[in-house]
Amino acid sequence: MQGTPKHLIACHECDLLIERVVNQPDQDVVCPRCHALLYYTTLNSIERLLALSIAGLILFIPANLFPILSLHVFGQSQSEIILQSALSLYEGGLEVVALLILLFAIVVPLIQLIALFYISFTLHYRWEGRLLRQAMHSYQHLRGWGMLEIFLLGVLISIIKLKDIADLEVGLGLYSLAALIIVITLSGIFFNPHQIWHQIDLHRKQSRFYD
Amino acid sequence: MTDSPTAFRSARDSGYLLCSDCEKLHYLSQEGLHCDRCGARLHSRIANSMSISWACLIASILLFLPANLLPIMTFTTFGQGEPSTILGGVLHLLEEDMLMIGLIVLTASIVVPVLKMIALTILLCTVQFGLQTNLRQKTMMFRIVEWIGRWSMLDIFVIGILVALVQLGSIAHIEGNHGATAFAIVVLLTMFSAIAFDTRLIWDNGISDCPPDSTDHKDDQ
Repeated sequence: MQGTPKHLIACHECDLLIERVVNQPDQDVVCPRCHALLYYTTLNSIERLLALSIAGLILFIPANLFPILSLHVFGQSQSEIILQSALSLYEGGLEVVALLILLFAIVVPLIQLIALFYISFTLHYRWEGRLLRQAMHSYQHLRGWGMLEIFLLGVLISIIKLKDIADLEVGLGLYSLAALIIVITLSGIFFNPHQIWHQIDLHRKQSRFYD
Repeated sequence: MTDSPTAFRSARDSGYLLCSDCEKLHYLSQEGLHCDRCGARLHSRIANSMSISWACLIASILLFLPANLLPIMTFTTFGQGEPSTILGGVLHLLEEDMLMIGLIVLTASIVVPVLKMIALTILLCTVQFGLQTNLRQKTMMFRIVEWIGRWSMLDIFVIGILVALVQLGSIAHIEGNHGATAFAIVVLLTMFSAIAFDTRLIWDNGISDCPPDSTDHKDDQ
């Protein structure tokens, strides 16, 4: 807003008012009172996020379409894709659990990848980006709600639980899922909210389409 | 600089507020308006933070009982099987000499939720009754709680995978039970409770407790 002093910032965790210091690229600025990370520099953040979000969107397809695990007993077999977990629970009458698995393991990661792709694409290619704010809000508010890494640990525990009972076969879906988790984790590391909001500010000043 | 902040002053006491979404600094008088950068509504503290956080926490503590007493899944082989609870599943793993896995499930399903509820209760009491304690420790506790809480969903995912995979008719099949619903809602509620909790409230009461250390920040000297 007009006139808010540019040399002041506040800590988002303890609300301490601090003077802004200019940080070196490798220097994190930390709240002197509660030690929260205030701001830092990520080099080539947008380019990295663009590459990672494209990789993530591509990996999302095999991770969801190919079987994660297959089980063989007495000539019968059963395969599992992520969606199947939600469907089976839904059919078994556990609608709430089914919905949560659907959200945490499929919907949230997908929305986050799409939002990330949109943000990095519009900022990198300087498109008009009418939905930049919404994309940023979606991504930031959904942080922590995508739980693919926990799902993967669940797969590993299921393998150990079932390995004595039946023949298990690991599918292409599991490898894709592991790669997808790496990509999502890296994108979380390179996502630097302060820097991106600042870039959106600049982007908006250059673009007459915004607002 | 004329309005240089003293070491102990919060933004709110100095007449500023921080946008919760994009962390842009605004004047306190703009409370209730929308941030000109990101469009989020401006609040100097999360609205109704304490009531929402308490409500979710108490609900999750109450639901933790059925989550542990009701069976979470039933494993049937050749027509025989009995429902198992969370603790039953852990004990079964330990009996079968799967110590590591048993401990992981025990940690995710019981230790983490219980510690999270205790930690949130301590934090909420600290703010509610204005207790003077080590505030930096409290903030650190909240960060750990917030980060680790989601791992409690582990058992829910395991149930989902087993139910989808073990559907072999009369030979063997696994079905979920409503203990899983209760447990999933417990995890969800503790996450909501942590999100609603505003860490800045910890610092609003006992500001003199932890002086800023001068090593991190040269302006404080």
